Amino acid sequence: MPKITIDGRVLEFAPGQTIIQVAQANGIEIPHYCYHPGLSVAGNCRICMVEVEKTPKPQIACYVQATDGMVVHTKSAQATEARAGVMEMLLVNHPLDCPICDQAGECKLQDYAFDFGHPTTRTPVEKTHLPKNVPFGAKIVYDGERCIKCTRCVRFTDEITQTHELSMGARGDKEMVIMTSKGEFTTPYAMNIIDLCPVGALTSKDFRFESRVWFMDFTESVCTGCARGCNVTVGARGGRVLRMTPRENQDVNRWWMCDAGRLGYGHANAPTRLTTPRVRTSARAGEFAEVGWEDAIDAAVEALRDAARGGVLADAGATLEELFLLKAVAGRGDLKYASRVGQDEDGFLIVNEKGANQRGAEALGFARAAAPAPAALLFVERGDAVPKALRDGADPVVAFVTDGADVPPTARVVFPLPTWAERDGLLANVDGIVQPIRRCRAAGPRDLRAPLEVLEEIRLGLDAAATPWTHADVVAAVRGAVAPAGLAVPEVEFAPAAPRTVAAPASRTR
Amino acid sequence: MATGLYPQTKVLSKNFDVPNAHTLAVARPRGAYQSLEKALRTMTPAQVTEEVKKSRLRGRGGAGFPTGMKWSFVAKNTGKPTYLVMNADESEPGAFKDRYLMERDPHLVVEGALVSAYAIEASAVFIYVRGEYPNSIRRLEGAIAEARAAGLVGKDILGTKFSCEVWVHPGAGAYICGEETGLLESLEGKRGHPRIKPPFPAVEGVFRCPTIINNVETLSHVPWIVAHGGEAFAKQGIPPDPANPRSNGSTGTKLMGVSGQVRNPGLWEFEPGITLRELVYGYGGGPLPGRKIKAVIPGGISMPVLLDSELDVKMGFDELVKVGSGLGTGTAIVMDDTCDMVEACVNIAHFFGHESCGQCTPCREGCHWMEKVFRRVADGDGQPGDLDLLESLFKGIEGRTICFLADAAVWPVRSIVRKFRGEFLAKMTPAPTPAGA
Ligand SMILES: Cc1cc2nc3c(=O)[nH]c(=O)nc-3n(C[C@H](O)[C@H](O)[C@H](O)COP(=O)(O)O)c2cc1C
Ligand code: SF4
Ligand code: SF4
Ligand code: SF4
Ligand code: FES
Repeated sequence: MPKITIDGRVLEFAPGQTIIQVAQANGIEIPHYCYHPGLSVAGNCRICMVEVEKTPKPQIACYVQATDGMVVHTKSAQATEARAGVMEMLLVNHPLDCPICDQAGECKLQDYAFDFGHPTTRTPVEKTHLPKNVPFGAKIVYDGERCIKCTRCVRFTDEITQTHELSMGARGDKEMVIMTSKGEFTTPYAMNIIDLCPVGALTSKDFRFESRVWFMDFTESVCTGCARGCNVTVGARGGRVLRMTPRENQDVNRWWMCDAGRLGYGHANAPTRLTTPRVRTSARAGEFAEVGWEDAIDAAVEALRDAARGGVLADAGATLEELFLLKAVAGRGDLKYASRVGQDEDGFLIVNEKGANQRGAEALGFARAAAPAPAALLFVERGDAVPKALRDGADPVVAFVTDGADVPPTARVVFPLPTWAERDGLLANVDGIVQPIRRCRAAGPRDLRAPLEVLEEIRLGLDAAATPWTHADVVAAVRGAVAPAGLAVPEVEFAPAAPRTVAAPASRTR
Repeated sequence: MATGLYPQTKVLSKNFDVPNAHTLAVARPRGAYQSLEKALRTMTPAQVTEEVKKSRLRGRGGAGFPTGMKWSFVAKNTGKPTYLVMNADESEPGAFKDRYLMERDPHLVVEGALVSAYAIEASAVFIYVRGEYPNSIRRLEGAIAEARAAGLVGKDILGTKFSCEVWVHPGAGAYICGEETGLLESLEGKRGHPRIKPPFPAVEGVFRCPTIINNVETLSHVPWIVAHGGEAFAKQGIPPDPANPRSNGSTGTKLMGVSGQVRNPGLWEFEPGITLRELVYGYGGGPLPGRKIKAVIPGGISMPVLLDSELDVKMGFDELVKVGSGLGTGTAIVMDDTCDMVEACVNIAHFFGHESCGQCTPCREGCHWMEKVFRRVADGDGQPGDLDLLESLFKGIEGRTICFLADAAVWPVRSIVRKFRGEFLAKMTPAPTPAGA
């Protein structure tokens, strides 16, 4: 293998790799704005300049390929001076409106200015003004002054979606991004440009002014909007999910996610959510009383013992572990799942199957519910996944339901169900890749108990001789159960009890 | 013209004063297309390239790159067509030489394009003409139509197996579309954003096919080289420096112009060897009555200035580099003692800032920043550290961008700041308070 020396470290590389790729692969950070591994190289921001021995001018690390014997310095006087120069240029006309900018706290302009900008300003000149608050379609807002003209957003619509809604317009310091289409995106992936934007020039109408990022809690999870299972970071604060952004996973979603998935967290913040368990108080349908969790569990055990029937009807967004326990508790009857099936599959990310764990349900022996049929246990996170006819037709003994509007009136015991943002567990995506969703500490109503815990208590209540299972025990059992269907369950650590990190990543863009 | 002047050699300009030389009826009896005929009937493409190499012809678009060597970089056997692009964008302030060629001898331009296309085995020529040159566009289109009717353009030219189309593509008014890869993008219908190199156009040019880009004047020399041989061309002008094996000299003839504050602005053709002083004072007629020449930019706006005391340099590629400037387009801009050099800098910086395509941070932001600093110095609002600030801006802009526009923005103003420091300081020092006030 050929070798390159970067900052004194001798590194092997594959021919064709650029300096920045070799550096990144070896944990050496070279600052960059316009470079993104998912897009073509534009080489325009110039922040990635490094010193290459035997070359008089600083070179851009994002474009120049490593060659055998090349010696690169990323922190030499030449490299540092070049970078600081670019940094200063980028701020000449920058409005510095960080106090009202959503990107503040996760902005590469802030990060790099802090790392190697000039400590004092030499630019007491009138700034060039450009349009601000420009709508880019219904969901995105553009700020020409904050924009550093890196063209990432333009390249995204040219190269990834190939829908060409954006272009650079005008020239010189008047250059800005313009919409070439009639004011709306045709791609369902447009909002990825918000994440791609290294600064606060593109903001999400949905998230604008909702929260400073440093007050938010971020959790690595998976989107449950469809069976693709795009990897995401869920941002939450004060019991509300405020934002979802994609996380890189080359096997699933690369760096992207769809707009519907990104915005599909509304049910987690719905005012109609159930927050306390309920027990039906009379023979009349729909009359419930709020009870404590232990009382509800006792009532559930009793009711299930009395009930003559078993059977499960579960939202295909239930995790493998939840499905496994639902089956353990009520497995005597039919095992059914329900999910929404769309017509918007596009060969990129979005798939028609909207059940986030539909593959997992099938692997555990669940079958798609074709018609309303009675079931002892009902599990509904999204009302549109398990329509009213199926829910009510199940006439369940025990129901786990997220939203008050979805409670079947004839259920005996109802447990409020935390959404995907508040649960730990495993989902098998459309390709059979098993991935974890994780509980966000700051999302959802307080004091909800995980359905996994509740189900386990019910199971123990029903069978005094049963040995208790930990989450890890259930995962191990699931692993064996789904292996014949070709699903490989990875080793995943969940830490439901311990508070997770609150700090935002330094920068959410790559 | 006064006697004793450095002699003119009219090769490219031989038809400039001939009435109706833009028509085939006049041009052809005066020799047009004879070289095309000679090349197609008696020479292989490689032989034409060989003669151009021997001629030591260097690009007339500004950079002076050896043309024959450039041609030899064309990627072969790619399975794609090869294209020739003639750069007729001529947007450099002070340059007006290509326009003379296109308006006064368009058949020479078309013949140059065709012979060169034959040499590099191109199937089509795109002539990218500055949009503000409607007459050039009209004359070229007229010449191409006449040539096509005469079997000189299109299929099986002159009954040979060589077929070549010639298209005129008007630009839309951007200086940056004269930069070769900005031009290629524009030709493809995109924004004129220069490309990062490599790949060079000879490998991946317009429509991702191998492409050679040359200036109008460069290619207009090729018919003469085919007619008389590369060695004859190499004997004219300034020979290569024998001490430097990589030197190519400044051979053949060169169109040279003078504009600005002189008595007799114009365009002439010489074998290189004339000094800038003879050009400006002899042909350009020297300063206007009662004025003195203060500074001259030898080759279009993007070269460093020379002082009146520095004009005894020969107008050659290497000679001008040695004195810290460059031949550029060979069209000198003269500034006399009424010219405010700070205002000149405002103007130059404004031009480059306005024409920056906007891609690269140092160019997009830096050119305008320079302009704003020059502006405040010109307005008497200069601040003590401004000259140091400017020097650090020059450093931050030059050599740090995708194309050379940014470098070209620095060179003239940096030379002015250094050579006319006193004028800047004078504006920055508060006028002494009158005694007793
Ligand atoms: C900003 C910029 C503008 C340019 N404009 C022109 C132009 O108008 N005409 C031209 O022939 N070359 C221009 N050039 C030079 C071209 O990039 C290229 O070098 C030239 O066309 C090559 O032709 P030659 O080898 O025949 O000189 C420009 C270069 C730069 C950096
Ligand atoms: S809007 Fe953002 S991503 Fe697009 S060019 Fe500007 S800074 Fe780059
Ligand atoms: S493609 Fe599916 S999983 Fe991915 S973001 Fe969209 S809805 Fe979510
Ligand atoms: S140097 Fe200036 S003109 Fe050239 S590509 Fe960069 S921004 Fe555009
Ligand atoms: S990251 Fe290399 S030039 Fe922008």
